[in-house]
Amino acid sequence: MMKSHWPKNNPDVCIRCATCMAVCPVSRVSPQFPGPKQAGPGAERFRSPDEPSVDKWIDLCIGCHLCDMVCSSGVNISELNLIAKAKYLDEKGRPLRDWLLTHSYLYGWLGSLLSSLGNPILTNRFIRWMIEAVLKIDRRRELPSYESPTFRQWFKERHSKGTKKVAYFYGCYTNTNEVDVGKATVQVLEANGFEVILPPQRCCGIPMLGNGDFRGARKMGLYNVPSLLKTIRSGFDIIFSSSSCGHTIKHEYSRMLSIPGAEEVAKHFFDIFEFLRNLKESNGLNARFNELPLKAAYFAPCHLRVLGMGLPALEILRLIPGLKIENIEADCCGMGGTFGFKKEKYEISQEIGKDLAEAIDRLKPEIVLSDCEGCRMQIRHLTGLKVLHPIQILRDSLTR
Amino acid sequence: MHYDLIVIGMGLTGLMAAKTAAEAEQKVLIVGKGIGSLYLFSNTIDLLGSLPIRKKAGEGLSQWIKDHPKHPYSKTGPEKIEEALSSFLSLFPPPYSFQSVGEGNCLIPTGAGTFRPTYFIPMTMLGGTSINEGHTLIVGFKGFKDFYAHYVADQLKCRGAALTLPDFPDQEMTATALARLMEKKSFRENIGREIKKQLHHETQVGFPALLGMRNPIQVKEDLEEILSANVFEIPILPPSIPGIRIFNRFKEWLIQKGVTFLPGYSVSKPIIKGKRCEGIEMSHPPVITSYSADRYILATGRLMGGGLVASDERIYEPIFSLPVTQPGSREDWFGKSFFNNLPHPVHEAGILTDSSFRPKNENGNPILENVWAAGSILAHHHCIDEKSREGIEIATGYWAAKSAIGR
Repeated sequence: MMKSHWPKNNPDVCIRCATCMAVCPVSRVSPQFPGPKQAGPGAERFRSPDEPSVDKWIDLCIGCHLCDMVCSSGVNISELNLIAKAKYLDEKGRPLRDWLLTHSYLYGWLGSLLSSLGNPILTNRFIRWMIEAVLKIDRRRELPSYESPTFRQWFKERHSKGTKKVAYFYGCYTNTNEVDVGKATVQVLEANGFEVILPPQRCCGIPMLGNGDFRGARKMGLYNVPSLLKTIRSGFDIIFSSSSCGHTIKHEYSRMLSIPGAEEVAKHFFDIFEFLRNLKESNGLNARFNELPLKAAYFAPCHLRVLGMGLPALEILRLIPGLKIENIEADCCGMGGTFGFKKEKYEISQEIGKDLAEAIDRLKPEIVLSDCEGCRMQIRHLTGLKVLHPIQILRDSLTR
Repeated sequence: MHYDLIVIGMGLTGLMAAKTAAEAEQKVLIVGKGIGSLYLFSNTIDLLGSLPIRKKAGEGLSQWIKDHPKHPYSKTGPEKIEEALSSFLSLFPPPYSFQSVGEGNCLIPTGAGTFRPTYFIPMTMLGGTSINEGHTLIVGFKGFKDFYAHYVADQLKCRGAALTLPDFPDQEMTATALARLMEKKSFRENIGREIKKQLHHETQVGFPALLGMRNPIQVKEDLEEILSANVFEIPILPPSIPGIRIFNRFKEWLIQKGVTFLPGYSVSKPIIKGKRCEGIEMSHPPVITSYSADRYILATGRLMGGGLVASDERIYEPIFSLPVTQPGSREDWFGKSFFNNLPHPVHEAGILTDSSFRPKNENGNPILENVWAAGSILAHHHCIDEKSREGIEIATGYWAAKSAIGR
């Protein structure tokens, strides 16, 4: 805990209107969580740094930020929850499981190297039973499989060329688990005339932050920001393709983690589709799309919504001829990053996800698109459908 | 990013304005601080609830406009109000459609056990307009603290019943959680069978307004089949499930139409050059994003949503610093008695506009050439007393957008 770094947040401006209660995905499905109004500004009045935490339900806040977004009084409710969660977990102690779930960046390379051996092991039913018994990671949740070579290794062989230059923050999951998202992002940027560079980078820290481990998350930020700043000061904008990494670096680094220089990074840090939309606005978008006859449904992740830029992926994908794309009207997939892996939270994660699965089922798509790896994992898990990042579809229509 | 029209405010006014502009093939951005007031208030559509019951709305409204020449309604007149209301209704085809009962206001029961007049009601509330006292059962749920069936029933001279929820005994439930459960067939069938056991000879059953979010008519019909009784919804405390249904319908339609829908963050600064607004800045720390448009509609509501702000001295409009007509000093804000029959003068404060809804100065000239204002932020209405909130929002949102895109 680093109390000197807590941002200022005045819970007393809450007017108790209950709008947040109407959007909270967790209290919608589980009476165990009292909802943002009570858990945030309500309980905050009774919290004291010197007294032990009694918020045994605070760990159920999924960290979607939807409550912050809908609050007309500007209370950062999820921030109050996160600080209370950190205190609660600091006092209660964190299981080894949480450390493993939040430090995949340390062993991702190994997972990739040993993927042909490791992937089958991670789907073995006995192994999964063991993992559940020992680590309390729910055996019904598929563990992400690893890919080889990694995105970084693939990129090393590529000689990116273009008349303009842009940098790319790809994120851990793209590097070792969904390499094609990174490839697609690079290919689309190149098709728009950009040479892509990769600044030195590590995990953005969101898994740790979401689990109330501020120290761990801050360590990541203190590594990433100087590296990204160096890139920015050499004249590059930086693109991200994972909405959760993007939200963390763009907004949490400065406000929650007080990383020096984070504010300057934020101003040059763009979602890939936000970047493409800006190109379109200045008539610089390569829009030579081939026809792509496909029925797709798009789901906007919570962390993309709270970035406050609308739904740029939907706007760009609508330009592809033949592609029928509809927005999925549902809030929160229920995965919550590491939340959905935890045995004690798996049922809640599934209940939240059911609403999304039903909304998808009504649209009957051939394919589902979403900008967040957590959402994609959950939608595959819930529906069995093919789920991609929207940039992969855009790449397909450009290179077909 | 540049748009044809930027709508500031995501309540019913802003949504109506965005819909009107999108229908005219305009490129529209709608921004909201938070997510607008529909999550809280509007269960039904008030037009002018203060008119006597059974008075024909059209006639009543015409006379009323003559008597209130400064009122926002007088800027449009009755025919244009009707056109705007039709546009609203067109967004809600059956089954979940809105209708008036007869030609004027109707009375519906509320979660406080009172009756209130309103104009358009959703089909789920129709049964409440003709409560047969001895033949109506009011149902609530134990653990749901926003609706007390026995209290409501006592007021309405009916019988009340509070159900224990089978899977959630002793647990607190929220309106959204219950609305979600109601969408599940097995849950509502259980509820239906439980009520059936407690039904004496009642032919009507009233529920708090949470019979599902997406398909309330299906929920209502399934319950009716089990109960062999008419089922209706009673509006309750915020959050308003029927309001969210309205919001969701607009949102879905607007996004499908290609409108950029931006809830969450407030306008931190307008960019003004001479008599024109050239852009707005939205602050989402540490980033500030600029958007520009040819035209702007201000639909930020009143004091609660921050469209107007009250300091110790005066009321001001925080985005464009538009003049706010208001009582001379703070001492004149309220009447001598709080529960007076007369509305408090402070509620008449707001933005003065010309007949096309452009904010005007004391000489009657538009302050900004390309900014229009609409909704409850306008001056000279008492929407709470008049029971005219949604009518003002729909009519002025629609016509402000028409004026803006007509130029």
